[in-house]
Amino acid sequence: MKELFQGKPFRHPVHTWLVHFPIGLFMLSFALDLYTWFRDFSSTVVEAAYYSMAVGVVMALVAAVFGLVDYLDIRRDHPGKATATWHMLINIVVILLYLVNTYARAEHVDEMKTPLPLFLMSLAGVSLISLSGYLGGRMVYDEGISVGRHRRTIATPSRTIHVNTTEKSNARGKEGKIAYYFVAPAERLEKKQILRVAIGGYVAMIAKLGEEIYAVQDFCTHRSGPLSEGQVCEGQVQCPWHNSRFDLKTGKVTQGPAKVELKTFPVRVKENEIQLGIEADESQE
Amino acid sequence: MGWVLDFLKGKWLKHPLHPALVHIPIAAWIGAAFCDFLNRKNIGGNVLVQLSYFAILVGVLVAVPTLITGIADFLEIKREKPAWKIGLAHGILNLIATGIFAYNLPLRWHTFRTAPMTLDLEWKLSLAGAILILVSSYLGGYIVYQHGIGVARFSKKEWKELARQGHANLPPEKKKK
Repeated sequence: MKELFQGKPFRHPVHTWLVHFPIGLFMLSFALDLYTWFRDFSSTVVEAAYYSMAVGVVMALVAAVFGLVDYLDIRRDHPGKATATWHMLINIVVILLYLVNTYARAEHVDEMKTPLPLFLMSLAGVSLISLSGYLGGRMVYDEGISVGRHRRTIATPSRTIHVNTTEKSNARGKEGKIAYYFVAPAERLEKKQILRVAIGGYVAMIAKLGEEIYAVQDFCTHRSGPLSEGQVCEGQVQCPWHNSRFDLKTGKVTQGPAKVELKTFPVRVKENEIQLGIEADESQE
Repeated sequence: MGWVLDFLKGKWLKHPLHPALVHIPIAAWIGAAFCDFLNRKNIGGNVLVQLSYFAILVGVLVAVPTLITGIADFLEIKREKPAWKIGLAHGILNLIATGIFAYNLPLRWHTFRTAPMTLDLEWKLSLAGAILILVSSYLGGYIVYQHGIGVARFSKKEWKELARQGHANLPPEKKKK
């Protein structure tokens, strides 16, 4: 059900398609309001602005539902999460503003000009929606949120697991130069299939494919996209942004545009625990 | 020339211009077709005829910078990428749709202020245009969400810094042209 909300069958997030309507219709409504102030046309244009706005509100409410589902899917510590929160809060204000505006307008559709308070409300509305729309765009184009998401068959990691390597109880012994640390109980990977882990200054993604378990750096070597939000299959991980592929065992590039191989980490399941290894003398903390 | 393209691509705004502008023609033109659909069924009357007219007009006006910024973005795509062909199809469909809606305006000019209903040809044109827009806008979204065009274009440095802090292998340094 969640997959339908996220637009997976359409290969396109639903929210980001729907928002075109409130944005465009609110802008159109404002343009019409403006027009009534500069030209003596007829009350028809005032009424037209009302309809444009009313449909915009309905579409905005629908878009908001899909937006909320998308919002809940963003990793807690994703760099774009704060932007997403602001985007959502501003949009809530916008919707409330337009609900009031539409309701108040209904009685004034016979006038020759949109009444000034309502016109100013429209001005505030399009200004705010330009701001929230801008933030929305930053979320997609700067933060890559929801890009390539439709290809993923597994859940986005909801948070990063932080492993404190100075905490003795996390240590799980050494094998040569590799020091292993406890990450999570083995069943975490059964359910989730991909974990994002911050350990000793590194950020890794751990993936389970069948019986095999792999760990590589989380950042794609093309534009540093989050591999933990990519797709894994056939022993490879694919970056959600520009589709670079890497062999999970060796970290080597199997498909561009990336050119540099990934750093790999030794990882094992022992005594029902997922244990990640980092080079003992290279711990960056 | 480079700075013109940079401007059109939205570097100054840290946000691509084309995807921002497209909202208006898409909503306006699909909205116009919807208005025409309703008033052909005797719903709404002249208000919807006028709304449709203004929606098409606003859409056509904004379509001009939308087209120019779209071309600037398209020039960024490498020829061998699958997104190039999709972008080309997207652009061609949009050009045709813009032409259809632009043609629709003088057709309606003399009648829209008073007509109770959109005429048959005008309605068919806006329907055709709206369908083209639905297809082309889907392709536009596909370019972004499937192929990542424009993604992290302006935020490479920030992400690379995160990767560097995570002691990951980094993308190679690009030599300044």
